[in-house]
Amino acid sequence: MFKKTVLILMLLFAGALVFAADSDKETISVTESEQISQESEIAKEQSIQSKINDIGSKILNANKIQDRIVFLYDTRAEKSLLEIDSTVTRRQVVLYDDMYKFTQNDDEIAAMLARGIVTAQRSYMGPVNGYSSAVKIKAAPKKFEMVSDKIAVDYMVKAGFNPLGLITVIHKSCPQKRFDRFSNKNLTSKRLAVIYEYIYTKYPYFLANNTYIENEHYQNFLLTSQHNRKLLYEKIKTGSKEELDYE
Amino acid sequence: MNRLFLSCLIIMASILCFQMNCFAGEIIKDELVEETLKGKVFENPYKPYKYNYEDVYAIPIRLAVISNINSEREIQEGQDIVFVVQNNVYHHGHKIAKKGDRVYAKVGAILKSGMNGIPASIIFNDFKFEGLESGKITDSYEKFGQDRSLWVYPLKWLLTPLPPTGTLTNLIKGGHAKLKTRDVFEVYYHPNW
Repeated sequence: MFKKTVLILMLLFAGALVFAADSDKETISVTESEQISQESEIAKEQSIQSKINDIGSKILNANKIQDRIVFLYDTRAEKSLLEIDSTVTRRQVVLYDDMYKFTQNDDEIAAMLARGIVTAQRSYMGPVNGYSSAVKIKAAPKKFEMVSDKIAVDYMVKAGFNPLGLITVIHKSCPQKRFDRFSNKNLTSKRLAVIYEYIYTKYPYFLANNTYIENEHYQNFLLTSQHNRKLLYEKIKTGSKEELDYE
Repeated sequence: MNRLFLSCLIIMASILCFQMNCFAGEIIKDELVEETLKGKVFENPYKPYKYNYEDVYAIPIRLAVISNINSEREIQEGQDIVFVVQNNVYHHGHKIAKKGDRVYAKVGAILKSGMNGIPASIIFNDFKFEGLESGKITDSYEKFGQDRSLWVYPLKWLLTPLPPTGTLTNLIKGGHAKLKTRDVFEVYYHPNW
């Protein structure tokens, strides 16, 4: 009887040991997989960051921008409402994951960065080391939004990117509000029409040799911008110099 | 018999082709481009330029516009503007630009004056000097109007305790950007860039 009890106890002990060893292995394998996924996440972020750095520096160099501006890929969805815009304070162009996921090619990444570069560059101008410009940008965001779009087109062209990428990325990522009269942002359709007119006037090459014509998003832009393009068509036909009231 | 078979084959093939055309996703054409730009040849505005920013040597070139420009009057983005060189410019003893030479540039973006004293501005870019590489010249020059925001904002904050007087400062607009023939500005030529 005693022998049997000892044998059973030994078997139970051995079983417990095997179970403990197995659970240890499982813990190790879970930690390892977490580590691997973290490493792959870091590698992915590094690859996006280096891509953003390359494109950003290309735009800065090609446009001879003599102000220091840096770029950051942020995995957070978007900027917190309480956070101060680092584009005008630290001259750091932040590309949030929420925006990055809308980009499909280098033109579109360049478009996002070029807009940020314009704002950061303007925050260097004016009295108090550009502080007054930063206040103005924050006080009149609608006005500077349009100007940033236009100058971003210039920067993209100079750096060898297709400015139509700015149209497709804004078309995909910016929602359409009902009104913009009491808003601090312009209607997206109005912004797109102004960018289109700017490209038509200054860089017709890209429209005459349109590599985006079969792009689904560009096609959707053409479909949804018919009224505004008609207005532009009439302006061109009549030779008017009036600023158009796009919808 | 062969002829009948061949005719049937041709008819069926043509029906198939017609149907394929009907079901293929149609590409929306840009009528504006088709009607106004089609057939015209445009030069690619992108000039691959190999810069070398190691060198810091720059030669100033003084310019003035040929006729007065105002941001609020008939001026358009993309419009050509003519400037005149104001001094003889030398590099290693060679005259690279002489006084009175015409220089062409384009109007870049125009920022209209806004509320709270925000000034207008005009950006001039794409300066073209005869005989000088455009990649070696300052990219742009921006002319600002009178910046009234410098006193409008402090005034607004001072008047905030007396509503609605603070809000009334919104109505003060910034100055127009004016470039007069007597306004001389400098662009830089970097011969070793």
